[in-house]
Amino acid sequence: MTVPDTMEGAYILSVIDFLLSFVIIWGMSLVLYIFPYLNKLGYLDDSKLRGGH
Amino acid sequence: MFQQILSLMVNLAEQTGLAQIWWGNIFMILVGAMLVYLALYRKYEPFLLLGIGFSCIVANVPGSDLTQPGGLFYYAYQGVELVIIPPLIFLGVGAMTDFGPMIANPSLMILGAAAHLGIFIALIGAKALGFTLAEAGAIGIIGGADGPMAIFVTMKLAPHLLPQIAVAAYSYMALMPLIQPPIMKLLTSPAERQIVMVQSRKVSRLEKICFPFVMAVIVNLLLPPVAPLITMLMLGNMLREVLLVDRLASTAANDLMNVITITLTVAVGSTMEADKFLNIKTLQIIVLGLIAFIGGTASGVIGAKIMNWFSGGKINPLIGSAGIASVPIAARVSHVVGLQENPYNFLIMHAMGPNLAGVFGTAISGGIMLALIGVK
Repeated sequence: MTVPDTMEGAYILSVIDFLLSFVIIWGMSLVLYIFPYLNKLGYLDDSKLRGGH
Repeated sequence: MFQQILSLMVNLAEQTGLAQIWWGNIFMILVGAMLVYLALYRKYEPFLLLGIGFSCIVANVPGSDLTQPGGLFYYAYQGVELVIIPPLIFLGVGAMTDFGPMIANPSLMILGAAAHLGIFIALIGAKALGFTLAEAGAIGIIGGADGPMAIFVTMKLAPHLLPQIAVAAYSYMALMPLIQPPIMKLLTSPAERQIVMVQSRKVSRLEKICFPFVMAVIVNLLLPPVAPLITMLMLGNMLREVLLVDRLASTAANDLMNVITITLTVAVGSTMEADKFLNIKTLQIIVLGLIAFIGGTASGVIGAKIMNWFSGGKINPLIGSAGIASVPIAARVSHVVGLQENPYNFLIMHAMGPNLAGVFGTAISGGIMLALIGVK
């Protein structure tokens, strides 16, 4: 089912899209909150990466 | 014999563009010249406006078949029509972009959604003016302030509106330093504009390498309609962050990006032919695009003000407008407006977080829109 091509459809589309954007972005930010814990897995040295190990 | 020469000369003249030129061509040549002027003398996005302006002028000189099948401009446009160019631009953008400021401060990501209210104001406005919902969606995405995304969504929803939407999107992005500051100042107090934000944490190499993989998986999983763009953005960013393949990252960010930019600007400018461009719809789209930019800027600042209240005065509301996307122009505008109030307040890195989140915000809005309207 898709949104009807009417004025009401434009309102529905806008409300769903705007609110869902917040939810998805918020979800992405939650994933990024976990990122600092990745550092417990180890440390990557920039100079060694550049030199090809 | 004289009659024969005269007849040949008339025949020759009829084959030139002079016989076909009309006032619309002259008007559009002036529009192209204005774009070139803005790039040359005002330094507004010269990398984009010079190519668009030049090809707009050439496309409106009748007689040439550059924009017809067989012409070079026509083939440049195929890169847009087949949706090849926008993902390649995102590859280059990814290879140029440090997502560290966004990873360092995830709480500011929400501003990437807040600053996109303009998309929906323009969408509803366009529908009220009689555009179809698909056309209205394509017009609304101008407010995402992201050129490749605007082209991508427009090609899916309303390809016949590409010239107007691409020109509006890129022109308003170039004009951000003029459009945004008055709205930002109107919605904030001098005290708010002087808020100094705490420096963000340093993001490790491991985090930066993991980021593109994680985001590519999330976007492909949740937003398949816009996955080609974000996947390429993340591929470019991965090439940059691993540090092992400098040549590839450099090619994506420089040489390839330059070739694609030339092709894109030629393709967009060549669609600005008078007979397709000069109509009331163009004027409506230009106005709606401006409304989208103003609405997005305002909603971003208001979103940041709300966050500032909740955080106890730790967030400068000026960074909210950067959530509109248009990397890094909108972040620079936040920084410059902040500097005008306090010359020791450097907001650029704080504004880059919402600014980069805005790219995802536009992609999310576009992806949901394509899915709801039923376009794959």
